[in-house]
Amino acid sequence: MKKAAAETVRVGDLIRTKRVIVCCGAGGVGKTTTAAALALAAARVGRRVLVLTIDPSKRLAETLGVERNPPDPVAIPADRQRLAGIQAPARLDAWMLDHKLVADTSVRRLTKTPEEAERILSNRIYQQASRMVAGMHEYTAMEALHRLVVTGTYDLVVLDTPPSRHALDFLEAPRRLSRLVDSPALAALLPKSDGMLARAASKVLSKILSAVFGDEFATEFVGFIGTFAGIFQALNVDVNAMREFLSGADVAFLLVASPAPTTLAEAHFFQEKTKELGLPFRAFVLNRSRALNVKKGMPSSLRDAAGGDVELESAVRKLEAAAVTELELAGRDVALLRDLELRAGEEATAVALPEMPAGADDMGTLIAVADVLLGS
Amino acid sequence: MTGKGGVGRSAVTAALAHIAQDRGTRVLVTEIGDDPEDYSPLARYFGKDRLATTPRELAPGILGAVLLARTGQELFLRGVLRSSTLSHAALRSDVLRRLLNAGPSFREMGIFFQVLHYLRTTREDGSPEHELILVDMPATGHTLSLTALPEVLLRLIPGGPIATALKEGQSYLNDPDKAAAWVVTLPETLPVSECLELLDGLDRTSMPIGGIFLNRVPVDPYTTRERELLRPLLDGTAVLGAESYWAPELAQRETARLLAGTRVPVYPLQQIPHANLVAHLAEVMGGARPIRRRTSMRP
Repeated sequence: MKKAAAETVRVGDLIRTKRVIVCCGAGGVGKTTTAAALALAAARVGRRVLVLTIDPSKRLAETLGVERNPPDPVAIPADRQRLAGIQAPARLDAWMLDHKLVADTSVRRLTKTPEEAERILSNRIYQQASRMVAGMHEYTAMEALHRLVVTGTYDLVVLDTPPSRHALDFLEAPRRLSRLVDSPALAALLPKSDGMLARAASKVLSKILSAVFGDEFATEFVGFIGTFAGIFQALNVDVNAMREFLSGADVAFLLVASPAPTTLAEAHFFQEKTKELGLPFRAFVLNRSRALNVKKGMPSSLRDAAGGDVELESAVRKLEAAAVTELELAGRDVALLRDLELRAGEEATAVALPEMPAGADDMGTLIAVADVLLGS
Repeated sequence: MTGKGGVGRSAVTAALAHIAQDRGTRVLVTEIGDDPEDYSPLARYFGKDRLATTPRELAPGILGAVLLARTGQELFLRGVLRSSTLSHAALRSDVLRRLLNAGPSFREMGIFFQVLHYLRTTREDGSPEHELILVDMPATGHTLSLTALPEVLLRLIPGGPIATALKEGQSYLNDPDKAAAWVVTLPETLPVSECLELLDGLDRTSMPIGGIFLNRVPVDPYTTRERELLRPLLDGTAVLGAESYWAPELAQRETARLLAGTRVPVYPLQQIPHANLVAHLAEVMGGARPIRRRTSMRP
């Protein structure tokens, strides 16, 4: 039986109905801008929206008129909301975080007492290299997301995931962290360990650590792991809860990509991976696509305007030559979009956003992108 | 070789390798990877799907290898843990593997050590096996953490074998005669902004900066007079071909902004067709000269 058109996935519907949209993608594909445009689009149709992003470009923060690294989400200034056509009770908030702040927030939330939090925050190893604890900021982004959705302050939260080569690394990084804690040999390094096997394993491990890192650091490091153990354990439980939450029907995962020879391969990988993890993949967003150029007209009409002017005629001829090339490139991107649509299947869709060489971080362009997404 | 995604960094890296090989330099191209099975954009320019974990010939006179945290960590552990039982235990130790995997600093350390290993490798006559090593960095964040790694880690681990390796690495990385960071970018708004931010970041590390490849500079087909005549016809209309008119203007504006924002030499590379990209690029780059700010031109 043929599927009714109304049943197919539309990005505009995702914007109007979902409670969480997760934007994934490699660095440099315009993911943050897409996330901001999605959030803006939802606010323009009357929803209360938060866009949550880690380490965004300075200019996007400026466009939205928000500070970077506030302790809580902040509202976009009222005049900009008006300018963007957002009317109360609809609203657009943004929360732009950086790694260090995210890590510190995690520590505070996951420790049982303020004293314990202070002990960790003042730990030399933690201070020097809080980045050593990978997955911490990805984890906090997810946790903040969960909390914000549960409290019901927002109708929709758009999560812009941290850039990484693998689109779903933000889900894997916390897992790596929690797997470390599961290790019995590591547990043996901790004060209250028991079992002869574990103790023997721990002896070998501390020998190795000393040989590799030097005695001083090895001792300090074991102390650090000990202090962190509680956090790790809390993390492990929450990572699983978070996965479950993200597989819900209220959630949509989007892959943001730009036209490149590897795009199809990346899309394939992403789709397989989301299926494997049971995550609701809903759309490919093909950024910087020239596919929409096929709707433009050829410049031949300008020929009449030349009216016999030799120089203008020569200019129009050059324009026509360029038009042929542009049409060719547009055709290539149309084909790519069609391939992505096929790949998307029935549970997802593919949309193209135009190339914007001057950037998309002024409000006018952002609104234009938002409207394209709403109509997709 | 650094620069955000989509600016043609891998093509420029491949072209540099060809130029070096052409001039008789033994060159090794490397790329930071997460997984040995990953598809490699750099290898694609040599007609391969991926790079091997140890140096293998990609083209006559050009070797390639993928840099993986794990490869470097294993090389390091083998070197440090002289006792073979201990080294064996370490390499098989699940907890150590998880530990090294959990900390990005440890993963970078592995990559750092793999590069150091290639720098140390010599031929029988004592000359370096790899005279030039090109490292294609997938993300700008990676570059900064890798170049800052020795300083960050040395503060934390001032002694022991890691410190020794870091200091040896520093002696290469911080010496302008031996190493340089090159940034690839485009004459467009966001890439130029990000390039300037990256240069700021690099300035805060001790890594010398070689220069900037300004890639895909559009060719302006129009004369000044033709531009004047066309402008009123194109302003506010969307016709095919108009990009050829506006792109050079944008590129000029953004090039000026880049030149105003940095003293690092900028090498423009004209936009060229996709077919035979690397060969064309190598030809263009071989003769590239830096451009300067108009205001700072001196006789």
